[in-house]
Amino acid sequence: MAVTTSTPTSPPSMAQDLLNSLPKTLKLKTKQQELLIRVATLGLIYILAFITRLFSVLRYESMIHEFDPYFNYRTTLYLTEHGFSEFWNWFDSDSWYPLGRIIGGTLYPGLMLTAAALYKILHFLRFAVHIREVCVLTAPFFASNTAIVAYFFGKEVWDSGAGIVAAALIAICPGYISRSVAGSYDNEGVAIFALLLTFYLFVKAVNTGSLSWSLASAFGYFYMVSAWGGYVFIINLVPLYVLVLLIRFVGFQHVQSGEHMAAMGVFFLLQAAVSCGSDIWIVLQVFFFLDWVKHLLGDVKLFQAFLRITVTGAVSVGAIALGVGMASGYISPWTGRFYSLLDPTYAKDHIPIIASVSEHQPTAWSSFMFDFHILLFLFPAGLYFCFKRLSDATIFVVMYGLTSMYFAGVMVRLILVATPAVCLISAIAVSATVKNLTRVVRAKVQTLQSGSGKGTSASKGSSKGVIDNSQPFQKNGAMLLLLGAFYLLSRYAIHCTWVTSEAYSSPSIVLAARGAHGQRVIFDDYREAYFWLRQNTPPDAKVMSWWDYGYQITAMGNRTVIVDNNTWNNTHIATVGRAMSSYEDEAYDIMKSLDVDYVLVVFGGVTGYSSDDINKFLWMVRIGGGVFPVIKEPDYLVNGEYRVDKGAAPKMLNCLMYKLSYYRFGELTTEYGKPPGYDRARGVEIGNKDIKLEYLEEAFTTQNWIVRIYKVKPPKNR
Amino acid sequence: MRTKSENPVQQTSSTTVTDSSSTASMDPIFHLIRILPFSFLRPPRLRLKLPSISLPSSNVVFALVLLTYFMVVSGIVYDIIVEPPGIGSTQDPYTGAVRPVVFMSGRVNGQYIIEGLSSGFMFVLGGIGIIMLDLALDKNRDRSVKVSYASAGISSIVLAYVMSMLFIRIKIPAYLR
Repeated sequence: MAVTTSTPTSPPSMAQDLLNSLPKTLKLKTKQQELLIRVATLGLIYILAFITRLFSVLRYESMIHEFDPYFNYRTTLYLTEHGFSEFWNWFDSDSWYPLGRIIGGTLYPGLMLTAAALYKILHFLRFAVHIREVCVLTAPFFASNTAIVAYFFGKEVWDSGAGIVAAALIAICPGYISRSVAGSYDNEGVAIFALLLTFYLFVKAVNTGSLSWSLASAFGYFYMVSAWGGYVFIINLVPLYVLVLLIRFVGFQHVQSGEHMAAMGVFFLLQAAVSCGSDIWIVLQVFFFLDWVKHLLGDVKLFQAFLRITVTGAVSVGAIALGVGMASGYISPWTGRFYSLLDPTYAKDHIPIIASVSEHQPTAWSSFMFDFHILLFLFPAGLYFCFKRLSDATIFVVMYGLTSMYFAGVMVRLILVATPAVCLISAIAVSATVKNLTRVVRAKVQTLQSGSGKGTSASKGSSKGVIDNSQPFQKNGAMLLLLGAFYLLSRYAIHCTWVTSEAYSSPSIVLAARGAHGQRVIFDDYREAYFWLRQNTPPDAKVMSWWDYGYQITAMGNRTVIVDNNTWNNTHIATVGRAMSSYEDEAYDIMKSLDVDYVLVVFGGVTGYSSDDINKFLWMVRIGGGVFPVIKEPDYLVNGEYRVDKGAAPKMLNCLMYKLSYYRFGELTTEYGKPPGYDRARGVEIGNKDIKLEYLEEAFTTQNWIVRIYKVKPPKNR
Repeated sequence: MRTKSENPVQQTSSTTVTDSSSTASMDPIFHLIRILPFSFLRPPRLRLKLPSISLPSSNVVFALVLLTYFMVVSGIVYDIIVEPPGIGSTQDPYTGAVRPVVFMSGRVNGQYIIEGLSSGFMFVLGGIGIIMLDLALDKNRDRSVKVSYASAGISSIVLAYVMSMLFIRIKIPAYLR
């Protein structure tokens, strides 16, 4: 990064005096100037990454968003109150009644431990903050740290200029912000930091060959495993990368030689059931172990004999182990969620509960555009630059980028994993392009005299990128292009801020809309309902609702739920789905068998809120029908169409969900000029207005009718 | 980290090619097959050579990578799973004529096939524009070639950016407002 010192031509005397009057310590050398600029930029990026995620805290209040973070918050609260060993052995009987849930064994503790550690540190420093504030602000804090790690990673892969650009890009990239706003207290907030840290330490270890870096990388990976299920990505990418490096540098001979062929085939088969990553690890261990043994033994014949015995023994042991494992059920095939990454059509046909989650849908182009903007152009250009200057580090970044982009294409949620790679590679493109352009802009103009060939300035000038004097526009053209590049980057910043503010800062538990005169109207119905539950129901009441709201009910309402967002027991969820889709008397039998006291439904007909239970109802039918064939989806449709108005299917008009959503709704006028009972979310007048409930009674309806709670009546005395 | 080759690769491969066909092979499946069908069946003597696989050049790899990127970013996985129509249609309420709708409106994560492909093409065009710009700034070329690369690159980038902004504005009417 050569910087030419500027020689002042003839400064006016006043400025000269001022310059001389400054104390010597303030006049910095160029290297120190560069360091100052770099540190100041990184400091600003750190602050920027934090404050851009604070929109919802400023608009609403410091609260936990969405659904999953409420579970994480509840467990963190338990951890800080009861200590680690209680937390680790916690069996929660408040959810999945009557089954309960082993919380200690079924969660990733990294996030909770991190937040609890931050909380303890702050309390040690006598900052008496509530654990909720720590939880809300954990994700932005770690996002700032991720930006700094991205700087170091970029510096490792390309140079420090690319590092700074990478840090700046990742600080505001909407793909990352979507899962790390303040209040989004979820595993990904911490996991992306751990992912990037692990990758950076790994590339550093590859470049320097030192053991301490690889040890640090292993610790980073341990943190990642404790934080998120996405560690599978690392464990598969790293061996794949090592294999690619081996093939590239050692050639195909090792892979091709006959002595390894059959044995390798059997090894592959053995490990295929457990994990693809450890499969490749085993192969690599085999390579290096065999090389080492060959070196030790010296004699070729001896080595052949050794190889023969080892391979035969290993194969037979492996075959026996595989047989025993498969027969006893110890070795199980891939879980549905990960399998659907390799075969995206699997979930659609076989597991409706995975297919129903909106985050698991495949990605359309507009989601990419929303989350990446300019980076979508810069990514292929960055790949080109990486291919131009291939090194161990750039190969790694390219592989990371390509694999993560494929997975991001399969599932919307995984755009998050692709974001660091895309930012890094785009930063390489930006840095290389800007470097090229500035080189042209700052090149010395070759004077006409040096054309004769002798002057020392000519030889010096030619090494610095001389431009031909006959093209004066080249400098201006390059300047214009630089301005264009900065314009594009500024548009990126504007886009990112707009997307963060409008799309990704919604707490989901508090809804906002524009009123008739443009003023902001807030619907706080969810928390109103949960608080009512907390205050007005007996402490051992059991609440049945669709699984989306389970975590929130347990955390805020402090009541036992039947099913929640963990969705680990499909049959239990299908039972609830069946109850919601049946007629009231059948549903009453199911509810009585589950000891249900209250039923909670979410209804958006008055406000026009479209994520309510009636819109989710078909998923209840599908999931229920997947386990209980008595529920058939065509019963609820008319000509394949899902309707709630007069022309709806009779089973639809009389099922429990319909009755509970539209009870007393037929008397309500929701919109001026429309008949009473006009459903604003579906845009139709409902079909069955005269609803009578026999086994349930209405307990509570929130102010805007969004959440409705019904009490299950005890059986009649005979 | 590359292992320093103390055992040269060529030597082992040549020895093993001959050894695997002799009794000194340690491949157990080979021993098994030697006993079971081939103790009474006689394999014919053929002159076969294992085809030598050479690594493809980086240009070919890069072209493949660009193609894959184009497919992923166009939302091909979405097309395969959700199976949207190639182009949507709406009926004019007064005349009854069926009008085509190119951009699926209403949600961010939904597309028709053609809109996905055209947007993906714009993204790849922008990327290629930047690549051409870099090729233009390379020193060792004729001036005319450099100028044509530069102009092609600049026009590609500008076109791609303007079209992408237009597409996203059509799809999401509330964009940047």
